[in-house]
Amino acid sequence: MTLMLSVPLTLSNFSCYSPVCIDSSHFIMSLAAEAFVSQIAAAEPWPENATLYQPLREDQILLSDCASSLAVQAYLRMCNLPVQVSYRPNAEYMSPSGKVPFVHVGNQVVSELGPIVQFTKAKGHSLSDGLDDVQRAEMKAYMELVNNMLLTAELYIQWCDDNTAAEISRPRYSSPYSWPLNHILAYQKQWEVRRKMTAVGWAGKNLEQVYEDVSQCCQALSQRLGTQPYFFNKQPTELDALVFGHLFTILTTRLTSDELSEKVKSYSNLLAFCRRIEQSYFEDSQAGSSSRGYSKGPSLF
Amino acid sequence: MATSMELRCWGGDWGLPSIHTESLVVLAYAKFSGAKLTVAPIDWTWRTLTGTVPELVCQGSTVTEPAQILNYLRKLRFNADYELSARQGADTMAYIALLEEKLRPALLHTFWVDTENYSSLTRPWFASRSPFPLNFLVPGHHANTALSRILLTKSDSPLHTITEVEGKIYSEAKECLNLLSHRLGTAYYFFGNTPCSLDAFVFGFLAPLHKASLPSSPLQNHLRQLENLQRFCDHILNAHFSSHPGSPQPVQETVDANLQKLTQLVNKESNLIEKMDDNLRSSPQHKPFRADPRPSPSNSTGSTPA
Repeated sequence: MTLMLSVPLTLSNFSCYSPVCIDSSHFIMSLAAEAFVSQIAAAEPWPENATLYQPLREDQILLSDCASSLAVQAYLRMCNLPVQVSYRPNAEYMSPSGKVPFVHVGNQVVSELGPIVQFTKAKGHSLSDGLDDVQRAEMKAYMELVNNMLLTAELYIQWCDDNTAAEISRPRYSSPYSWPLNHILAYQKQWEVRRKMTAVGWAGKNLEQVYEDVSQCCQALSQRLGTQPYFFNKQPTELDALVFGHLFTILTTRLTSDELSEKVKSYSNLLAFCRRIEQSYFEDSQAGSSSRGYSKGPSLF
Repeated sequence: MATSMELRCWGGDWGLPSIHTESLVVLAYAKFSGAKLTVAPIDWTWRTLTGTVPELVCQGSTVTEPAQILNYLRKLRFNADYELSARQGADTMAYIALLEEKLRPALLHTFWVDTENYSSLTRPWFASRSPFPLNFLVPGHHANTALSRILLTKSDSPLHTITEVEGKIYSEAKECLNLLSHRLGTAYYFFGNTPCSLDAFVFGFLAPLHKASLPSSPLQNHLRQLENLQRFCDHILNAHFSSHPGSPQPVQETVDANLQKLTQLVNKESNLIEKMDDNLRSSPQHKPFRADPRPSPSNSTGSTPA
């Protein structure tokens, strides 16, 4: 049964208005459900007890998850939205999409940076309102660059490189569980990630090529940043939060070899960028200990 | 560089030199940078199943994947990005990542997973270009690869079905098209007046969507609303691929044919009238200076069209 449905989405977070021809009712449901949820979200202000869930910081969390979580925390701090961080070993399973981190705000649970940005926009907090269309296109393109290259490279290094997988990723991922569950879950996760790498065509790459890709991505980010304090004008946007999350985690995480962090360290303006954001937004979080201690994250080994 | 380079890719149709996205990217970049490639379509060979497409063979070494092939061409001094600044080079990488992440799943879905499009357009095309018995295997293999790629990268958990991600991937693709349209504006190319690798990539992604006659495609309808992207594809086709026999604008040709027929009819009519006039003048009963074009009653054919 085909339906012609014209959905006039007047909410600011949807930019497409087009007649839609659909074959299944699932499509109507998902689009209408999203619009409905956004209207509900816009109704209430940001509560005081919003919580962000992520895996255990010392023992369990891995590089890619830590990067995503730090990006979300940086974004929420840039928006001045208070959030408490809660560490749970089963955060991945609690999340609606299977990915960490996720935030529990009022009645709703939203995971991953993209949906969280839209969610906060529905509540009226946005960092990218001042950008024009071309700049917004650039911002989204650079966010996809980070997701496509840096995040995929992190996943590859963690799970497809046998050394790292055996010495770091599998033990850490399965640390809260007892035998035999730890083996089963670790190998299941590894199999899943390797399937995904095959699907996007990264399975045939070797480690050198992955490091080269990371280097090219950092070079692109460095050239785009130039000498500015942030990527767009003088105000940070979600792109700054995302880049900070990934780069800071790479710099402060010890893996089997230092080559990944060396690649990032060779770009001095990116180092200065990370330090600047850390000092502006994370300095006041820990009383006493230096701020590097807070976001040091997993110091592996 | 007098080295001969051979590119193995899928063949062309619908006015395009190739209907495969990656092959189109490489072909467009070769045109932009002035590299001479001999195109060897893999249609009707066993490479349709075994080979990775596109593949560049040069002096014994083979390179696959568009990004690697473009790097290889740049090393051979065929560089279309020579005039880009560092910042524009970074923008290129970012936009290519945007295309891969947001547009490619929806394109894969439109051509390979949507049942109407797949059964009426994609599968017959690929099956007709593969030798027996591969015509049973090749389309199904590609469709499975496309489906698994969409599910693994876009769905929230491995247990979800394709219908739940359809909405998400199409809305992301439409947003991506809007962003490209905003970035292109009124220019002919993305950076300045000369095409570069980003133009090649965008052309490779958009041209099949623009030219294929898909029975059901909300994405194609959305593209039809973005005129500057259509103009971009047509301009590149006309400027760089116009000597190809599969020239664009078949619609205009039919209009021309109708016009031709009409012209012929009018010509026939005027010839008839001329003949009648001649008969009139050569007739001995009438004086020669009488220049009336009135058809004489002795002529029984009359002036009504046959």
